[in-house]
Amino acid sequence: MPYYIGDVIKEEKRLIARTPEKFRDTGIDVKLNTSAEGIDADKGIVRLSDGTAIPYDTLILGTGASAFIPKIPGVELEGVFSLKKLDDAIQIKNFINNKECRKAIIVGAGFIGMEMSEALRVRGIETQVIDLLPRPAIRWDPEFSKVILEELTRQNVIFSGETGIVSIEKGMDFRLRMKSTRGEMDADIIIIAIGIRPNTKLAHELGLQIGKSGAIQVNFSQRTSKEGVYAVGDCCEVYHRVSHRWVHIPLGDVANKQGRVAGRNVAGGTMIFPGVVGAQSFKLFSLEVAATGLDEAEALNSGYHPVSNIIWGNAIARAMPGEKRLGLKLVADRASGKLLGAQAVGTLGAVNRINALSCALWTGIALDEIAYLDFAYAPPVGPAWDPIHIAAQELMRKL
Amino acid sequence: MSKNVVIIGAGAGGASVAAEAKRMDPSLSISLVEGGPYTSVAA
Ligand SMILES: Cc1cc2nc3c(=O)[nH]c(=O)nc-3n(C[C@H](O)[C@H](O)[C@@H](O)COP(=O)(O)OP(=O)(O)OC[C@H]3O[C@@H](n4cnc5c(N)ncnc54)[C@H](O)[C@@H]3O)c2cc1C
Ligand SMILES: Cc1cc2nc3c(=O)[nH]c(=O)nc-3n(C[C@H](O)[C@H](O)[C@H](O)COP(=O)(O)OP(=O)(O)OC[C@H]3O[C@@H](n4cnc5c(N)ncnc54)[C@H](O)[C@@H]3O)c2cc1C
Repeated sequence: MPYYIGDVIKEEKRLIARTPEKFRDTGIDVKLNTSAEGIDADKGIVRLSDGTAIPYDTLILGTGASAFIPKIPGVELEGVFSLKKLDDAIQIKNFINNKECRKAIIVGAGFIGMEMSEALRVRGIETQVIDLLPRPAIRWDPEFSKVILEELTRQNVIFSGETGIVSIEKGMDFRLRMKSTRGEMDADIIIIAIGIRPNTKLAHELGLQIGKSGAIQVNFSQRTSKEGVYAVGDCCEVYHRVSHRWVHIPLGDVANKQGRVAGRNVAGGTMIFPGVVGAQSFKLFSLEVAATGLDEAEALNSGYHPVSNIIWGNAIARAMPGEKRLGLKLVADRASGKLLGAQAVGTLGAVNRINALSCALWTGIALDEIAYLDFAYAPPVGPAWDPIHIAAQELMRKL
Repeated sequence: MSKNVVIIGAGAGGASVAAEAKRMDPSLSISLVEGGPYTSVAA
């Protein structure tokens, strides 16, 4: 969606993986613009917003998550948006296309905030990002935040840390005037991206067990605590294979996989969803930012004894012109020598290193094996000693 | 009588359930209920 707003993707229909007609062709009854308003579990019926009710033997909750909107004055004003649904993206793009937008404020420097800062700059809009926390993309090590901040600065995105939103009102020279904890700022458009919350209203009504994360508790076959009721996607939890805990990591690839597993089980098959290792990435202008597994704090919390290091290497062979600097951080467990997590930042090859290390986390191999893993080597795509090898060898010395 | 399957939400998760369940057992009677105007939206 951020790429649709940035006009890299021209038409919204390219964002639709499967149309309602295609579902209907296979004999599935699709009811659009129709909300499930309540569930009567004893009778086994779902009450719909069009006044009808439909009976179920098996029920699946795929209700997703909603953008968290703070309860502050002015969030309802024209020009204030959040981004979660396709309609949000269409509205934002129409607004930018048809109304004067010279200046934007993005509230929240997480994934959405970062991707949107690029989209808005691409559209030629002066952009400022604010966050309560001191650094953008706080999941990443401070050393990598510095690189992210440099990239933002290079692209003329202003970042203001330790700044919270207080209220919004109509402006004079600009459409909106935003009061923050650090003074007032002007904008023609404000995007609020301060996190999402799982939609669990129906789950509560059904009396389903809700996990510590606030999302619906499920098991490995996507079944909830109630017989015949499944949950998939952003509304439910997922098993984290490194922390061995059930967590809420609301991601599109996870939703797809959980959905397929639940679908198989609903149809009488047997399939489990084996969990995630927490692989994630986003692109920020020319930077790839990626991470997998646990950081030190999460590792400590999960009962490990973490040790970590950061190395700066080159994503391609040193003899090749044009260095591609790559920062790689590894976190390992002192007791077992096993890898627990990794983060990478660079203009090339950060995501592919993180994907390789995600496999290492998945199978649970230790640093001494990672230090000599067999990777494809050719000068334009990677050095003989990959940054992964170097980082693993260095970290072994700290064990 | 065929089994009634009701799926609430046609995002990546719900839409995947519908597609896979129907593929595995075409006799299922599946309803996909979506509050918005789209199915299967990629973010
Ligand atoms: C655009 C986008 C891209 C994504 N891309 C990927 C991807 O490529 N791969 C992947 O695996 N997952 C991805 N995800 C999933 C992501 O981890 C979660 O879905 C989602 O929680 C991220 O939403 P967010 O950016 O709003 O929230 P967060 O990442 O939680 O960031 C919210 C930020 O807002 C700040 N904040 C909170 N309150 C305030 C306040 N009052 N004032 C100022 N700042 C505040 C917080 O400090 C935090 O930095 C993506 C999600 C989104 C929305
Ligand atoms: C801007 C943005 C960028 C992102 N980028 C990435 C990325 O790069 N990589 C990544 O992995 N993830 C990304 N994500 C996260 C990804 O979009 C979600 O994880 C994914 O959409 C989850 O699918 P879902 O089916 O669980 O929920 P959703 O796609 O939110 O679908 C839930 C559906 O349920 C419907 N619904 C809810 N309640 C009811 C009801 N009572 N009755 C009827 N219908 C109802 C809603 O209308 C909605 O259509 C991004 C998210 C955003 C917002």
